[in-house]
This record gives sequence, C-alpha cells and structure tokens, in this order.
Amino acid sequence: MKTEAARVGQWADLTDCDKEPIHIPGAVQPHGVLLVLREPALVIAQASENAERLLGAPAPSLLGTDFGALLSGAQAAEELRARLSRERLQDENPLKLSLHVGGRERVFNGIAHRHKGKLLLELEPSSEERQVPAFGFYHQARGSMSRLRDAPDLSGLCWAAVREVRRITGFDRVLIYRFDAEWNGAVLAEDRDEAKAAPYLGLCFPASDIPAQARALYLANGLRIIPNVDYTPARILSLPDDAAGGPLDLSFSVLRSVSPVHLEYLRNMGAQASMSISLVKDGQLWGLISCSHLSGPLYVPYGARTACEFIAEFMSSLIPTKEGQQDYGQRLRIQAVQARLLERMTRGPDFVAGLTQGPQELLELTGATGAAVHFNGQTTIVGAAPEDAQVQALMRWLAERQEQEVFVTDCLSRDFPEAEAFKEEAAGLIAASMSRGRNNWVLWFRPEVVQTVNWGGDPTKPVEQTDGGPRLHPRKSFALWRETVRGKSLSWKDYEVEAAAGLRKAIIDLVLQRSEELLKLNTELERSNVELDSFAYAASHDLKEPLRGIHNYTALALREAGSLLPEGTKDRLETVVRLTQRMERLINSLLHYSQVGRTELSLRETDLNELLGQVLESLKSRLDEAQVEIRVPRPLPSARCDRVRMSEVFANLVTNAVKYNDKEKKWVEIGYTAGPDGRAVFYVRDNGIGISPEFHEDIFRIFKRLHGRDKFGGGTGTGLTIIKRIIERHSGRVWLESTPGVGTTFFFTLDDTRANGGAEA
Amino acid sequence: MTAPPPILVVEDNDEDFETLRLAFANAGVKHPLFRTCDGEEALGYLAQQGRFAPEGAAPRPGIILLDLNLAGMDGRRTLERLKADARFKSIPVFILSTSDNPKDVNACYQHGASGYLLKPVDLERFERMVACFKGFWLEFVILPEQPREAVLP
Repeated sequence: MKTEAARVGQWADLTDCDKEPIHIPGAVQPHGVLLVLREPALVIAQASENAERLLGAPAPSLLGTDFGALLSGAQAAEELRARLSRERLQDENPLKLSLHVGGRERVFNGIAHRHKGKLLLELEPSSEERQVPAFGFYHQARGSMSRLRDAPDLSGLCWAAVREVRRITGFDRVLIYRFDAEWNGAVLAEDRDEAKAAPYLGLCFPASDIPAQARALYLANGLRIIPNVDYTPARILSLPDDAAGGPLDLSFSVLRSVSPVHLEYLRNMGAQASMSISLVKDGQLWGLISCSHLSGPLYVPYGARTACEFIAEFMSSLIPTKEGQQDYGQRLRIQAVQARLLERMTRGPDFVAGLTQGPQELLELTGATGAAVHFNGQTTIVGAAPEDAQVQALMRWLAERQEQEVFVTDCLSRDFPEAEAFKEEAAGLIAASMSRGRNNWVLWFRPEVVQTVNWGGDPTKPVEQTDGGPRLHPRKSFALWRETVRGKSLSWKDYEVEAAAGLRKAIIDLVLQRSEELLKLNTELERSNVELDSFAYAASHDLKEPLRGIHNYTALALREAGSLLPEGTKDRLETVVRLTQRMERLINSLLHYSQVGRTELSLRETDLNELLGQVLESLKSRLDEAQVEIRVPRPLPSARCDRVRMSEVFANLVTNAVKYNDKEKKWVEIGYTAGPDGRAVFYVRDNGIGISPEFHEDIFRIFKRLHGRDKFGGGTGTGLTIIKRIIERHSGRVWLESTPGVGTTFFFTLDDTRANGGAEA
Repeated sequence: MTAPPPILVVEDNDEDFETLRLAFANAGVKHPLFRTCDGEEALGYLAQQGRFAPEGAAPRPGIILLDLNLAGMDGRRTLERLKADARFKSIPVFILSTSDNPKDVNACYQHGASGYLLKPVDLERFERMVACFKGFWLEFVILPEQPREAVLP
C-alpha cells in the first residue's frame, strides 16, 4: 500500500502558479469517497482515506476487496456490473447505490467515469440531498430554457442565466464572467443576496486569477464544485501496482481536491463554498458562471448541478445568436451606409471621390473619427487624422508588415511606437490594403480615450508575499481598484471590422472592373481616332471635286463673257475664284493635319543642326527678303525624331517668327536649355509682335487665326495645330511665352531627348 | 498620215470632263475623245462588249486618262484589271487625281501607270498642264501600234 504524495499544505510559488499540476492533486474533497475499481471483478484498487467516515471501513482494509461486497441486495453487484459496462457510462449517472455502512443501509449517488483506462467511482451520500421530485429537473430545465431563449440579446441572456442558476442552487452570489483576448475577465451579470454579497458587477479580474492550466481543465470538464473551502483533503491510497502507474488523473473527477492557492483566493474573497461552470463558444472558453456562498458551506446535490450544467450548455449554444442580436440595429445601419458608399463609388468616374465626398459615411462605416484614403500616390484625408507625413510613415510601416489584408488594433503605439505622437487622432486603427503591392490603403482612425478599468483588486499584485516566508498568497483585497489606461482607443466591434473588410472587397472588385472598362475605352478611342482621320482624308477629296468645278466654271465664265459683264459682277466672280483657291488651301491643310496623325513616324537619331541648316536653306529667299538675322547661340543636341516632321516644325516656327514681325531689325533665335528633369527644352524666339496671353491656348486650335486673313501674309491657321500634333506624336509638349510688342518664344520638348545630347536608351 | 488614235477618258465628274474637253480643244488636240463614267464601263469599252460592241462604237484608244476617285470600281482597281489583261496592257494610262497622297501615287506607278497628274483648283495651271501633255505625249511620243489582227477579220 502506498499513499500518494498529496500536495496538501504546500504553497505553489509564483513561477509555479501556471505550472501546478492541478489535475493530479493526489487527494479529493472529503464530502465524497473516490474509488478506483479494477474490472471486471470490481476490485477496489484505490480509495480515498475518508472511506472510513462515509463507508464505515478504513480505506486500507478496502483495497483489494470486491466492491460488490459493500452493496446490499443479492442482485445489486450484478446489476451494477451490467450498468458499468454500458457504452455510454456518463448517461448512467447518478448510480443510486445502497451500501452497508456500520450495520445500516446508506444511499449514495455514484458518479462513474473512465479515464486513461481506469474506472473511477465517486460516491456522494444521498441522504444529505434535498428531495427533488422526479419531474423536478424536467420542469426546472424547461422553464430555464425558455427564459434563456427569450432573452433579447447577450446581456439579457447573461442576466437570465445567473438568475436561473442562483434559483436552482441557492448560492449567495452567481455571476457571469467573460474573458477578453488577454484572458482578463469582466463581470457581465450578477445575481446576489444583497445583504451578504458585495456587488462585483462591472469589475474586471486579471488573467492570473485563472491560470492557463485551470482554463484548459475548465474547457475539458464543465463543472467544479467546492462545498466547503475549509475542507481537509482526503488522500488517495493505492495498491502497489496502481501506485506504480503514477498519480491518479482527476481531470474529470467531481471530488478533485483543488489548489491550496485557489482555496486561499476563495477565502480572501469571503467565499465558503463555490461552484463554477464553463461557457464555451466555438471550442474556446468564452466565460464562466461563477457561484460563491458567503454564509457557510453549501453542498449542491447532483441533480441541481446537472441542471446548472445544462443551463450553461444551453446558454453556450445561444451565445453566437445573442451576440449577433446585441448589435443588430448597428449592423443594419452599417449595411445601409455601405450600400450608399458603394452606390456613390460606382456612380462617378473617380471612386475615391465617391468614397470621400460624403465623409460622414466613410467614418460612419466603422465608427471612426478620421480616415485616410490613399490611391495611386494621392492621399485624401477625412475627419481627424494624423499629419500627412505621419500618415505616410504609417503606410510605409504597414506596407512592410507581411500581414493580413485588414489590420486592426485599438492600441497602435504597442506595435508602432511612433504612433504615440499622434494618439490623439489615431490610437486605434483599421488599415485595409487595397492592392497586392500594398500601395493603396483605406485607413480609419480613432482617438485615444483615457479609459478607467474597474478591477476587483489590484491586478498588478495577484499574489502577495508574507513577511519572511517563501510562500506566496493570492491577493487579499477584492475592493474596487481603478486603473487608468492610456494610448488606447475604444475597441473596434467585430461588425465594424467586417464592414471595413467588406468595403475593401468592393473596392478591389470595382478597381478591376474599372481597369477593364478603361482598356475597352482606350481601344475604342484608338479606333475612333483612326476613323476620324480617315474621314478627314476622304472628306477632303470629296469636297475638292465640286470645288474644282466651281472654280473652273467661274474662271471659264469670266474668260468667255468677262468683257460683257458689268464691273461689279465681274469683281464678284473673281472673288468666287479667289475663295475657291483659299478653300482648297484649307482643305489641303486639313488633309495634311490628318496625315500627320495617320502616318507612322520614322524615328531616327537625327543631327538637329544639319536638319535646321536644311530648313533655313529652304527658307533662304524669304529670310533674305525680310532681312532677318538668324541666331543659333550653340549647336543643338541630336534627337530621336522623324526627320521630315521635325523639319516641318522648325520651318513653321521660323516662318511664323518672321511673318509676325513688324520690327525694323528682325531676328529669330533657335536654341535649347536643360529642363528641370534634364530633358532638352528647344525654343524658337523672335522679336515679333507677340501674342496676348489670352490666346496662348487658342492658337493651337485648327483654323484659328488671330489676324485678318490678308494681314501678315495670310495663312490657313493650321501651322501651330500641326506642330502641336507632331510634337505630341514625339511624346513631347509645346508651349509659349510672349510679351505683346516685344516678342514670342515657342518651347517644345521631344520625348527623352536630354540636354546633354542624345536620347535615352 | 494616219488619223490620230482616240483618247479614252474615264471620268465620272461632268464638270471635270467638260473642263478637260475644253482645255484639249483650246490646246488644239485633234485626237477624238471618248468617255466612260466608271471602271467597269471602261473595261467594257476596251473589250467592245455590250453597248460598245457595234462597229466603231469603241475604237481602241492610243492613251487612257483615268480618274482615281470613281464610283463603283475605282481607278486603282480599273488600272490593275486592264494592266493584267494582255490585250490592253500596252496602252499608256495616265492617272488624273485630286490626291497627291504618296501611297496613291506609288500604287499607280506600281501597277503600270505611265504618269500621274494632279487636277488643281487652278484653271490656268490645268491648261498649262494639258498643253505640255499634248506637246510631249501626243506630238513626240510614239504610241504602240494597233494590233491589226484585233481589227481585221
């Protein structure tokens, strides 16, 4: 015979607190007897040492004997054996067993379970049990179920549950305690005897109150009960064979002796008896129904415990639904906001504008106070947000994190210390990444809210050390202890985070759809451009035919009968002839313009000095006639361009410079400078009549003339339009600066031509 | 001296044809002018088919003046067709066109045109052009012989 090394009287130290093997205490609470029976004969292999008090025989004398011998009644042993061998042992509980104790019969509730190959039978005296009618459980359960089910929301559910459990058990205080992400607990509902129990409602309890291994045990085994916190543990005695198998695992035992630290904790709280039942959601410990009795020990009989366990299970199954109903109105409102945002985003061509135009809605979507929408390098700020540079830094930091598409925090500075500087705008953040490259974001901000957490005792001192001893004690005070929390925003609700994720998905879909539309539009535009040019080309020829007829017939009529006509009539016919020729020139210009757009450029590395030389040579007679001084301050760089078209540009600009010049000493300067990006900016400068700024745009319009058609030598008004088209086809830009009466400078760039000569690559 | 060979003018525009006729007359061109209004008719004329079948209705031309911009079969196709026909390919064809598009010009020479002339909106220039044409092509250039077997039974 061996006695398990019970841990009674030993104090766990602080580091052990999380490691204490609470499932193998080596002892049970003394209100019942624990037996381990060896099957099939039901030989008692292990027994708790309190057997003598409850069963009338000392535990050592029971070891190795047949349990059946204790039972009264001839058939009892056979019947028990049959029930214990049934598939679903738990369903047989409680086993009503009549035992011979001290010469008389005593009724016990037997609670049997198998664990790790062992059959454990726990016997609780039934005589102490208050009589509950056979139909009691059913009635109680049915009433409780409907009250839980009818609760309007999560809060209602919690309140209904604590009332039901207190009504069934009679504890002085029953509360529901919900875990947060850090395993701190907050009291959501409480039913208490107001004369005996101080209110705990709204208090928080630190995670260390229920260590990790206890939480694991609570998840596995739904109910714990301590009828008297001042109990003396009853050690478990074993036959040598069983002792060699290691300490008995009591994970699923109802009599399991609990950690002394826990008992002291309960005593500090003023509790003399306690019970707790687990609440589970999605396979995780969601919270606890925690009961305590302050006015003395309290034994809760098996039937009542089962009813409470049933309530907890039923409540667990309702949590997801009731949680959903908790924010039902809010969810509906947010759905409407999302629909409005989407509608506006899809209506306009610029969905970012749609998103930020009604700023209230973007903020309302997640209940934020500020937001930043960053798309294609542009940031739009809505509401209260950090400074631009801070937002940019935040996005760089976000881009580096290879994390989920939606990042959520209510304490940004914990992950991103720089956020401390702008916690007044953004202590809380939802960041939704809108692209694979993590370059586009929608960010929602919430400001810091200095919060007060009401703790049930100082959470920083869960354990206190006594003077001069190595022993650690749980805290003694459960009085309200207020903590001020800084750097945190109000936490984001799950439906707010869902709304952000929903918007993200909608935007991504929209962007994809938009880029497809854009591609289609581009193709259409290209086609319509080609068609337009073809149209201009064909139209020009068709227009010319009747024009030639008018011209020829008028000229013939003048020739055949000119001498017979009155002078006025003859003049008019001559004007018709002149107009037909002018019209032909206009048509030819239009044709030329359409050709510049239609024909492929032949891009070659070209020596612009040579090209300019040829242009000037071809204009020689005009230049000589006008006595113009041509200035080329320094040689031009070479450029990749279409030789013929570029000649046209220079010829046109130089001709204009000469033509619109009323000075006695005319000059034209052709040169280039380096632009801000290192590209060459070419210019043709004159000391001509100048162009008033109001016409700087107009002059590039086709057929636009600023002067009477016979002034300054006339013209069709297409030269600059064609120049603009040629330059644009070289991916360049043309513009001008001018002072009326002083002169004009036309500037143009050519794709990648650098000021230091030559094109890139 | 043999009678000058006829000139076939393929021109759908009445005013242009009238101007051309006058310019030829003024330039003293003796060659008889025949006209068809489109390409198909021109090919019918050359093949002496349909209304061109009767004796003398369609004498074989020594020169063809062809407008490019025709209704139906346009000038380019007409040129292609008649240059592909061994019976007519030796007849010099001159293009008369509104277009100076290099593409049109190249295509016509490619298909065997003997010359490409622009119809200007300038009567005097046109008359000078006709005079030069007559002076060179109708007075100095020796045109191909009429293939006798085609005429004689």
